[in-house]
Amino acid sequence: MSEPIWLRPTSVEEVIALRQAHGEDAVLVAGGTFVMTLRQTGLLAADTYIDLGQVSGLSHLEVADGQLRIGALVTHRAMEQSPVVREFGGSLSRTFGVVASPRIRNQATVGGVLADADYASDPPASLVACGAIARLHGAQGVRDVPVEELILGHYLTCIRPDELLVEVVVPGAPQRSNYQKFRTRSSEDRPCVGVAVAADLRDGCLADLRVVVGAVSDRPQYLRDICEATVGKPLESALIDEVASGYADQISFLDDVRGTATYRRHVTRALIRRGLEGLRS
Amino acid sequence: MTTTVTDRVLGRIRYASDFEVPGMWHGVVVRSPYAHATVERIDTSAVPDGAVVLTHADLGDLRPRYGPWIEDQFVLAQDRVRHVGDAVVAVAAPTLEAAREAARVIEIDYREHPAVIDPLEATRPGAPRVHDVLVPSDDYSNFYDLRPSVEENIAHRFRLKSGRGAAGFDEAEVVVERRYTVANANHAPLEPHSTTAWWTGDHLTVVGGTQTPFNNRESLAKLFGIPESQVTVRVLPMGGSFGAKTFLRLEPVVAALARKARVPVQITAPREDVFAILGRHGAEIHVRVGARRDGTLVAKAIDAWWNTGAYADSGPGVAEKGGYAAIGPYRIPHVEVESRCVYTHLPPNGAFRGYAATQAVWAGEQIMDVLAVELGMDPLELRLRNVLVDGDRFATGEVMHNVRFKECLEACAEKIEWRAGRRGKGLAVVLKGMTTPSRSEAALEVTADGTILLRSATTDMGQRPTETQTRIAAAALDVSTERVVMSENDTDVVPFDMRTTSSRSTYMLGEAIGRAASDLRGKVAAKLGVEPAELTFSDVGITGGPGEMVRWPEMSGLVGHGEYVIEGGLEPDTGQGIASFEWHQGAAGVVVDVDQDTGRVTVQHLHTATYAGKVVDPPGARLQTEGSMTLGLGSAFLEELDIDEGQIRNANLSDYSIVSSADMPRITYDLLEDESSPPHGLGETAVPPVPAAIGNALLSLGVGLTRMPIRPDAVVEQLHREGEE
Repeated sequence: MSEPIWLRPTSVEEVIALRQAHGEDAVLVAGGTFVMTLRQTGLLAADTYIDLGQVSGLSHLEVADGQLRIGALVTHRAMEQSPVVREFGGSLSRTFGVVASPRIRNQATVGGVLADADYASDPPASLVACGAIARLHGAQGVRDVPVEELILGHYLTCIRPDELLVEVVVPGAPQRSNYQKFRTRSSEDRPCVGVAVAADLRDGCLADLRVVVGAVSDRPQYLRDICEATVGKPLESALIDEVASGYADQISFLDDVRGTATYRRHVTRALIRRGLEGLRS
Repeated sequence: MTTTVTDRVLGRIRYASDFEVPGMWHGVVVRSPYAHATVERIDTSAVPDGAVVLTHADLGDLRPRYGPWIEDQFVLAQDRVRHVGDAVVAVAAPTLEAAREAARVIEIDYREHPAVIDPLEATRPGAPRVHDVLVPSDDYSNFYDLRPSVEENIAHRFRLKSGRGAAGFDEAEVVVERRYTVANANHAPLEPHSTTAWWTGDHLTVVGGTQTPFNNRESLAKLFGIPESQVTVRVLPMGGSFGAKTFLRLEPVVAALARKARVPVQITAPREDVFAILGRHGAEIHVRVGARRDGTLVAKAIDAWWNTGAYADSGPGVAEKGGYAAIGPYRIPHVEVESRCVYTHLPPNGAFRGYAATQAVWAGEQIMDVLAVELGMDPLELRLRNVLVDGDRFATGEVMHNVRFKECLEACAEKIEWRAGRRGKGLAVVLKGMTTPSRSEAALEVTADGTILLRSATTDMGQRPTETQTRIAAAALDVSTERVVMSENDTDVVPFDMRTTSSRSTYMLGEAIGRAASDLRGKVAAKLGVEPAELTFSDVGITGGPGEMVRWPEMSGLVGHGEYVIEGGLEPDTGQGIASFEWHQGAAGVVVDVDQDTGRVTVQHLHTATYAGKVVDPPGARLQTEGSMTLGLGSAFLEELDIDEGQIRNANLSDYSIVSSADMPRITYDLLEDESSPPHGLGETAVPPVPAAIGNALLSLGVGLTRMPIRPDAVVEQLHREGEE
């Protein structure tokens, strides 16, 4: 094997054609912050890379018909700083702003962080909390997949070998939301626990609640049953404790260098409480 | 040739990996994936033509082993590998890509053996042996008798006994005891190791970043069986080192590759290899201290295991310095220390900014607060009651002079408002030795254009040696700093200096430069036929001689030479002697708070005070102190190798956590100056007290931690235990 081949398509159609031709042997590269680290550390040694940098139509960031449409190549930095995202509402701006360092945020993309499906990431939890949908283009056409169904496990998504994630659509901003990133090490570190909460309230009662915990398990943890059981109830301390305990009890927490499973359970409970308390004001 | 801070900031420095010579090839090292294994077979048949492969079989004419304290290192593994990342095969090719490709097709079969990772286990009977032969080195870096033991995996055992040693605990009314541990860590310099070497006939030239050019010249000459005059070590400015670039690292393998390839070869370590090349000692330190009810210390016992990894490197020195640093700057009539440098199947560990004191103070200063709690005393008062002052005897038997430990502590206590309430606050003090014995030389040469060339072997890793030393030379000659120019750093050009470590250079080279200036004044006077005292030097020239003012160019060719030697050292079985000619002295005070839910510790304010003596380069002194405090915070909270059965799982800068600018809390510091004193090294003094002060601040909140780095999960565990009590 010699030096790998770098392909530089310029259109989505071309990418899909290349994906059909090379299958899983060719690795897609968007910002490169994930793929290049794997390559440098020897965990990835592909023959062919498909550089998405020249592909047009993947960099839009706009609100249309009340929906926030985010091109797959939009960077974390753009999400952090764009007035469009801020005015749309929700906590996406803040979430993308707490990832790593400005140098990484200038490079890392929205499509990339979802397609990598690295458990130790911030954005997936917040995107699941606001009900975001991933739009996939493939040889068979276009399909929409909710982000919570996109990520299947460690580094595993439902994106087919001939598909490309082209955009993320957020149908509407929740009335109230927040994202808490909890790090155990440097401020540039990945999260030990990330908790995203989003809610709509009607007459002082919950009309919709989504609590999503990231970085604690193989994929973002959104426990629908627990959240749906809160609908119609006021957001009071007892309910908050119930939700926090439900998540702490049901999630199968992992151990890594950022914290043990036991510790993650403890922190998750505390952060969900804080997150939900934060929705009350 | 020499560089300034401005060059560094503007990116104008050519680092070792930027260096090129015509016809240069690139090399790659193939490293062991196992912690302990026998190399059964090396198959290089698939390597394409045009690449040169080096194995142990090519090294038969070399000295079999090398090492600064113990000859236990191999250029390439002979038959056994002793850590993940141990070098087995090296390849050179005209391009880096070709070298990598050649390395990829080499097949190596290993037979794995049980490995020992924990230093306590390594010393127990039946533990796997890391080495079969341990021969102390006769390099000048090894200046005391070592006590290696193959059976116990011990490279050196440093013992100290003063008074009645541990028997003295019978005089104590209160005794406390704890076991502290410190994780292995990496220096994580931004610039990785990079070395270029070539042979001109039998003359070896090695170019790269190193803190130890003269050690390297000596060791390379011995390794290749050539006189030192046939080895040239040229030092380029480094992009950080912190001890990582001390003694031989890539140099032997690059030199051997270049010899076989018959062309210049360069190897730049990939980041993963930086973690395999050298790290910081993990340690386990058991400490016991006894006092009278009034807080007078009577006895202290230290039992320490320093995890030196597969090769001793400077581990024996770490065990010695850490052994006595754990005693702390206190009057204690009975002291006993046993400090072991232990082999394990991990990457080797060596010098690291703070040199063992960080680990030692973590244990030695936290036990003081444990004792204070037991006595119901203010920890500051306990320290002040026992702290060494001028004229006191340290446990090594040496009489202390020019010490300011008390002043350092008082300054920190004041700045964190200790006496207004101690909750969430902590203090720690450090006594850190400077390498003793030690020798430095410097030369000052008047050149044809009248500038004065300073020849000094101090290496530049960002600590402003050019600014500091040209300033010292200029002051000694009464000329402007612009007139003094630092020479390039090459062992053929600069006179001997022991090495740029141990925060010794400003003091040692400073003295040598002063003497070189006196010598130059003498030579100028002799040339003018007058006594030196009759002459007045200035930037323009020299007056006081027989005629008009003599301009500097007229003195072209005159060279002043200066040498400074300090004597001392400790007897390894008793620990008695002179540990340090001058002491590095400092203290830290810190204010923290703890998130009760998550255990996250926030430093509100960190203050350090260090004794500076005479400050030569004020910006340098400040920056060194800030850098030290930053590293201290990193050691306290972040820096740790994630080791799993000998594999390092975070050998990259994405997973290995170091302090970023966003992590910095409010930091302030005092440099305690004394114009009448010589300069005291400031390169490391503010590192060691930082973690221990934080540990003590947590103890004041009921969180007693023994392991460094401080992890929030450990804090939570302690908070909960507290709640249950």
